[in-house]
Amino acid sequence: MAFLKKQNKVKFEGGGLVLFDEVQQAMAAEKVLKSSGYIVRLVAPPPELRKGCDLAVEINLVEQPGIERVLAKNDVFYVSIDPLRIKTAPLLEVIKVTDFGEWVMVKAGNMKLTYEKSSGVIVNVSGGGCPDIPYLHAGMIDKRLDEAPRPKDLGFTLCALNLERAFDECLTLHSGGKKI
Amino acid sequence: MMLIVGTVPIGDMPLTFGEVKTEGDYLLINGQRIPITQGTGAMVSAALATTSYLGLDAPHALLAGDIGEGKGSRELYQYLIDHIAELSPDVLALHYWLPDMGQTRQLCAAIDKCEQRPLLIADAASMYSAKASGLAGAFDIFTPDATEIAFLADPEATHPAYIARHLFETDISRAPELAKVAYENHGAAKLLLVKGATDYVIKDGEILATVTEPDVPALEPIGGTGDTITGVVSALVYAELEPHEAAIIAARANRMAGKHARVTPATKVGEVITQFPSVFKDYLCQWSNVCCIKGGN
Repeated sequence: MAFLKKQNKVKFEGGGLVLFDEVQQAMAAEKVLKSSGYIVRLVAPPPELRKGCDLAVEINLVEQPGIERVLAKNDVFYVSIDPLRIKTAPLLEVIKVTDFGEWVMVKAGNMKLTYEKSSGVIVNVSGGGCPDIPYLHAGMIDKRLDEAPRPKDLGFTLCALNLERAFDECLTLHSGGKKI
Repeated sequence: MMLIVGTVPIGDMPLTFGEVKTEGDYLLINGQRIPITQGTGAMVSAALATTSYLGLDAPHALLAGDIGEGKGSRELYQYLIDHIAELSPDVLALHYWLPDMGQTRQLCAAIDKCEQRPLLIADAASMYSAKASGLAGAFDIFTPDATEIAFLADPEATHPAYIARHLFETDISRAPELAKVAYENHGAAKLLLVKGATDYVIKDGEILATVTEPDVPALEPIGGTGDTITGVVSALVYAELEPHEAAIIAARANRMAGKHARVTPATKVGEVITQFPSVFKDYLCQWSNVCCIKGGN
């Protein structure tokens, strides 16, 4: 039976590392993240990623925004969050704006946010694939940009992070800070 | 059985399994009311519209509430890992969930042990986790958009937020080139339906078809119009069309439904889905030679 139990255990493969200056911070991070429901584990960072102490917390990289929020809320200080695969590119920050006449669509990475020019009302959110996106879609649609919840406050995943970038750009465009 | 698996944005909804019905503007699954909005709701609704038109059994859905915290997603993975052999679906379409590489590996191992292997489709984050765990080739169909095909081409990326700059593209025109790279890097399913201004149906790096008409640019901003394509593809392969035929028809039907609905960037996806029966009635025979069916012309 012990053998069978071992076979059934899912090996955690997070794909991301939270790096710390001090071992105590890494241990505190593990504690607050686990108590918030995240699956994480303490690991030794590979030499090429090491930035501070010899202890890191492996996370599911997709959950980076939600994890950053929990660490900030609990005053746990970290150096950075990095993909575990060392050849992974840095976070994309490419924005594309499409003018549909009465509406503007802003695309950031895999996320798109569209608002009505005259009113600033968000009419659609599209793209992505993580479970917080339909939730954000429901919460943001038909609200003005200046009254809608921010994706970074409600979202948990990298899709929400991209949506936050699109949202920021929409705010700038609608306030006249940039020309379309 | 056709089984669609994914999360819905209802935080406290427990794991729910059952045949899909409609109740007004909602889907009804084992007593749970699901809104027909962007995500798995739109996909399931489009699949149901297709199976209803074809006179097939309605899809079954395995859903869980998850607003991004991951608990519902983990329950879905675990239920599938434990029960996929007894469920034994003909078509298994995976959709929104929190990507988890370890659980995806275990799920694929469980599928490998099934007496009859289901036809496997993935879209949204289930496609992300399939690719990130190196198991894309185990899937029959992926339905990426322009950004997601770049993600599939990048061997190091585990999410579309981390795509190498030289691969990232918002324009669909590089899709054929990126698809070739994705196949070389084992990041692609057997068949790709790449959704964009031009839809590409690609198998093993070779373009089998492109779909450009009708041209309805306003479909892109509408949340859920990629999900509807995946729902229609899933239903059409359940109807035993070849995957590439299903992909071509789904791409055409989605565009035509958008045209019939006279969509603007402010249109909601439900208005597109309601057009599918009339689109099928007018065009399915011409597109597929599937003519003598319940509800057909």
